[in-house]
Amino acid sequence: MHDNRAWFGVLPVLLIVSFSAVIPLITVVNYSVQDIFDVDTRLFVGLDWYRETLRDPRFLDALLRQAGFSILILGIEIPLGILVARALPTEGRRVGLILVLMAIPLLIPWNVVGTIWQLFARPDIGLLGSFVNGLGVEFNFTANRLDAWITLLMMDVWHWTSLVALLTFSGLSSIPSAYYQAATMDGASRWQVFRHVELPRLKSVLMIAVLLRLMDSFMIYTEPFVLTGGGPGNSTTFLSQYLTTMAVGQFDLGPAAAFSVLYFLVVLLLCWLFYTSMTTNAEEQ
Amino acid sequence: MAEVVLEDLSFRYPGAAADTLAGLNLTVMRGEAHALLGSSGSGKTTLLNLLSGLLPAQHGRILFDGQDVSQVAPWQRGVTQVFQFPVLYEAMSVAANLAFVMRDIPDKQRSERVAEIAGKLGIDSVLDRRPAGLTLVQKQLAAIAKALVRPGVSLVLLDEPLTAAEPEHKWQLRQTLKSLQQELGATMIYVTHDQTEALTFADRVSVLHQGVILQTATPQALVEKPVHEHVGYFVGTPGMNLLEGIIREGGCWVDGIRLAAIHAADGPCKVGFRPEWARIEQRSNNVVDKATNTLPVVIRGTRTLTTSRGQSLGLAVARLGESEVVTRQTLTGLETGAGWLSIDPERILCFRDGWRLTDHA
Repeated sequence: MHDNRAWFGVLPVLLIVSFSAVIPLITVVNYSVQDIFDVDTRLFVGLDWYRETLRDPRFLDALLRQAGFSILILGIEIPLGILVARALPTEGRRVGLILVLMAIPLLIPWNVVGTIWQLFARPDIGLLGSFVNGLGVEFNFTANRLDAWITLLMMDVWHWTSLVALLTFSGLSSIPSAYYQAATMDGASRWQVFRHVELPRLKSVLMIAVLLRLMDSFMIYTEPFVLTGGGPGNSTTFLSQYLTTMAVGQFDLGPAAAFSVLYFLVVLLLCWLFYTSMTTNAEEQ
Repeated sequence: MAEVVLEDLSFRYPGAAADTLAGLNLTVMRGEAHALLGSSGSGKTTLLNLLSGLLPAQHGRILFDGQDVSQVAPWQRGVTQVFQFPVLYEAMSVAANLAFVMRDIPDKQRSERVAEIAGKLGIDSVLDRRPAGLTLVQKQLAAIAKALVRPGVSLVLLDEPLTAAEPEHKWQLRQTLKSLQQELGATMIYVTHDQTEALTFADRVSVLHQGVILQTATPQALVEKPVHEHVGYFVGTPGMNLLEGIIREGGCWVDGIRLAAIHAADGPCKVGFRPEWARIEQRSNNVVDKATNTLPVVIRGTRTLTTSRGQSLGLAVARLGESEVVTRQTLTGLETGAGWLSIDPERILCFRDGWRLTDHA
């Protein structure tokens, strides 16, 4: 009985977590089943908002775009990050400097990243935009959907590949040199060294990299908002931005709450799927 | 398997002030179990890497069966290595690991060879498993199998392969290695700082010290006839006793007492003798007798190692002037205090400038 007093020690954490996470989440769930006209006028509508959201073509389009964006950036950033990490020198004075330089994009506030690329890619005065146009290739990310996507992908790759590279680099530096020596003596090719020595030992850091990039990209808001504002049309409007438009712009609290809950569940589901698939994979081995 | 010859092999790391290895000459016979014994910093690892080809030879030659392989890539040399800890491809099964080093060999021959080696090492039951699920000993056995499995291996390097094993498994692993070496007639070079491992494993041992091979000899010769002070001190537990002495009148003297006859130029020397070659006694008469080759010492303590038939055997530690002397003998009746040290005059060794003066009278 005496020992149960220890539970009081957990109380502060429970309090903080309830105020920071549980209570807001329940509030959102509460909103999502009501139609709210003003502070005193509310109607219970059950799951209507959920049905409506799931049938909303704009929601489904945004979800599809979102999935496409995440798959594309994972497909570029993970292999590119590994390539960069493998190309880095492993010792010497230069290493520290290179790592610091590489970390710089990670330290820039997200809306600044958006602004940098907004200016950089402008077809009239931007270094990139005017250069590409100067080559005779028509490029205008504010008018052309493909150009907008390319700019957005380039921006995200520029912003986040360093993270993957740094994680991979830390994974690589933990591999004892004897493994490389043994592989050299076995006459293993560069690819075989990567496939049989490095990849198995990078599994856990790569899982972290994939999870971080997946969650982060799935919730991306600031950079596309600053860069394209979701345009042209809705071609770069992702889930977060649509949600903000709905909740803040149009003040549709009920549908926005239902949207939020669905959004949250999708992110949770994705992470769970990834995590379980990668950990069971690791256990089999 | 090949005969391995080093010819005047030297190596200096870029930017280093001195050679890490200086003018090594060594012949390891085909099918020989050879040990390289040296403390850390003696150049063992550098020599290993030169033999395997991970480091390019700068000066001197390495010959395998008379062929200069100094500039040949590791894989083409046919050198394999067992490391301090088990090094295997962790995402592959043990069988796949063994097969990987034989990828240039037809399937059927390959699987026969895998089964054969696995049988010899007793790891048949774990062939289909990945290293992660195995015990440390099983993993190291698998790593040994990987080093031996490829037909046409010229040389197997063992870099302190028992380091990671528990003490109770070391003996078993060493026996397995030794018997396999003899059965396969493999040329093996076993690198270690542990003299017990070196002396029990190898047919011949080379003692490496500060980049130089001081002596290459059988374990017995290293114990009985070390050519250098360092060999005498480094080999043996405890190492050789070394006393300041002088050579004059055809004999070697310590503290004015003639201990043994020797033909060498007069001058200072170090007098060396193993703890087994000397004994300390106590007697009632404590008058110094210059005619006998006994030295007065002060016994500081004893350490019993074994007891048999009421006699305790072990180490006696005594002071002789500024030096400390250790003997291995019967301890029964020995007490701290004054005593007499006598050394077998037939076995006493004299060293000058580190090296042994040969030619006993």
